[in-house]
Amino acid sequence: MNRLGTVIGFTFKNKVRTKSFMITTLLLALLMTIGIHIPFFIQLFTGGDSDSANKIGIAAEDHPEIAQQIEDYVSALPDNELQFVPLQGDTAALNKQAQDQDLAGYLEIAPAGPQGTENDFPSVQYVSKSGSIPADLQASLQPAIENAKTRFIAEGALSDEQIKQLTTPAQLTAISYEKLSGTGTEGTDEGQGDKFNPMNFITVYVLMTLFFFSAMLTGNMIASEVTAEKSSRVMEILITSVSPLTQMFGKVIGVFLVGLVQIGIFGVTIAINLMLPYNRDVLAGFDLDFSQMPLDVLAYGLIFYILGYFLYALLYAAVGSIVSRTEDLGQAVTPLTMLSLAAFYIGIFSLNNTNSLLMKISSFVPFTSPTTMIARIGLGEIAFWEIAVSLVLLIAAIFFFGWLSAKIYRTGVLMYGKRPSFKELRKAMKAYKI
Amino acid sequence: MAERLVLRDVVKRYGDKTAVDRISLGVQEGEIYGLLGANGAGKTTTMRMVLGLIYPDDGTITYGGKAYGGDVQRIVGYLPEERGLYPKVKVSEQIVYLAKLRGMNGSEAEQSLKYWMNKFEAEEYYDKRIEELSKGNQQKMGFIAAVVHRPQILILDEAFSGLDPVNVELLKLAVKELRDQGASILFSTHRMEHVEELCRNITILDRSKTVLQGDIREIKNRFPREQILLKTNSAVTGLESIPGVIGVEGDPESYLIRIDDEAAAVPVLTEAMRQSEVRHFEVKEPTLNQIFIRSVGERNE
Repeated sequence: MNRLGTVIGFTFKNKVRTKSFMITTLLLALLMTIGIHIPFFIQLFTGGDSDSANKIGIAAEDHPEIAQQIEDYVSALPDNELQFVPLQGDTAALNKQAQDQDLAGYLEIAPAGPQGTENDFPSVQYVSKSGSIPADLQASLQPAIENAKTRFIAEGALSDEQIKQLTTPAQLTAISYEKLSGTGTEGTDEGQGDKFNPMNFITVYVLMTLFFFSAMLTGNMIASEVTAEKSSRVMEILITSVSPLTQMFGKVIGVFLVGLVQIGIFGVTIAINLMLPYNRDVLAGFDLDFSQMPLDVLAYGLIFYILGYFLYALLYAAVGSIVSRTEDLGQAVTPLTMLSLAAFYIGIFSLNNTNSLLMKISSFVPFTSPTTMIARIGLGEIAFWEIAVSLVLLIAAIFFFGWLSAKIYRTGVLMYGKRPSFKELRKAMKAYKI
Repeated sequence: MAERLVLRDVVKRYGDKTAVDRISLGVQEGEIYGLLGANGAGKTTTMRMVLGLIYPDDGTITYGGKAYGGDVQRIVGYLPEERGLYPKVKVSEQIVYLAKLRGMNGSEAEQSLKYWMNKFEAEEYYDKRIEELSKGNQQKMGFIAAVVHRPQILILDEAFSGLDPVNVELLKLAVKELRDQGASILFSTHRMEHVEELCRNITILDRSKTVLQGDIREIKNRFPREQILLKTNSAVTGLESIPGVIGVEGDPESYLIRIDDEAAAVPVLTEAMRQSEVRHFEVKEPTLNQIFIRSVGERNE
């Protein structure tokens, strides 16, 4: 046990202090900081100074009532920041006024048409320097104009209440059989409520991505560590000092801790960035509530994360041990990379369809369950026994592959030269009596 | 003295091929034991079995009477033929790490490391990384890594290869010091003069079998003396015709006379003294090199 601690400590210390580790961590933290600031930067650059951006002119020669209705509608919108400035005159005068008053642009409601068409709703155009309309402005103005049009055409034939109903879009909702008839089992009934919570989706997404990246990155770290030890021949001394199992687990745990430190640094980076006042506003705009974080999903996620990590890490260590030169490593770990890619993509592409047969099967397969099971727990419907069975299978797989990896490791570290095939490896195992 | 490391009828097969065939040997406390053999004779396999890297198919290996286990790992030191240390880790850190793996605590390891660094006049490399050192210094660090935990059993595979004569002497002294402190050292090399200087008992392996074993003196006595070294003041002729002499080479400065019968020694000396003044006369005992070539070479023909 003591020696295991020594191996863990040595692995951790040396990995954390390498230049490559520090540079990657810093670089990724920097990228994250920039990424979080992107919405803020976009606002900064497109917004200009906010006063004039929110002021638009409105010119309605023959139809002041339409202008009034648009203004009323917009000012009743929640979070409205738009202000209207009435303008008058011919086109040249309007343009001049708009520019003089530093307006973002102006709305021009066409004058009444010739005889016979005076009851038609007039065309409305937005005039600005660029000749285009920003998406958020259009989103507020379009319904306002439509509302005005309805009123214009109905002209007192309908009550305000009727007009309001007419302009509200019809609602289409979805509900399960159980819920409708009230026969849902307790538990799922409660759970159902927060199933569609966006935090669930985000938690699952983050957990899956985290798993994929840490399995790949730390896995490769472990494999290259082992290969480096082997190619520098320090392995021959190590293997006579400590049992291969201690060595392998020490390495896996040590690198796992390194991974945790890295994730911790990233977590702190993200948290600090989100705490900055201007970013907090942007975040609030996304309408996320962190108190809605699904703790059960998080807890299961952590268990599956750690177990899944060990499964992959042990195999990466075994692969690292059969390669003699670092250059050959990339090729040797390809099957493992494929496997983790499969786990990731099955999970990501099935986020909207967590109850498919593919998801059901892969959530029991140890290599894919760390991602797919999380998706099913977070976004689908699942019975507790399914989670339990999947966990047991995963643990069994860790024991089996841990045992196998230890054997491969023991044999692999003594075999130099070209990468052995499985047959040669088996032969060597027999010869070494391992 | 008691034999600490004992191999008894050890056999190792790789598939159909027998790599080590019934080897027995014993290394006493305070002894350097020479394990010799041509390339591929089974030396490395034997050492790996002693180290517990691979297990014998047959026979037993005991360490101070005990079988291989975690305790044994702590009293064994190993200097592999292709010595290796972490290229990018500081010398002090990795040697302390290796010492800790062998059961030392931190301060003991530091102390022992300082002692050896001082001995090898290498204190300046304490905080250097291995890749920054010259090859010879890397080897010294490898040697320190093998002995830092004061092993009772030390396995040295080609310990002196690639070192300059000064460093060879330094390392030889260190090995002798360890021997005098009571370590049992299994020593493999191709350099016979080192064996003659350091070892008392040897085993010569050839194609997985023991061909020669025992005390170097006794082995040498078992082999006939076949050479006479003769130094005279002037030329001596007619030595070829003396019965038992097969050939004469060289000049008065140094004649090398090959004989197939030790009885020829006296007539040779008499004849030489008759013709000239003899400065040096020696019936040479066979060198280990000759013994090695003879016992291994003959079988290879």
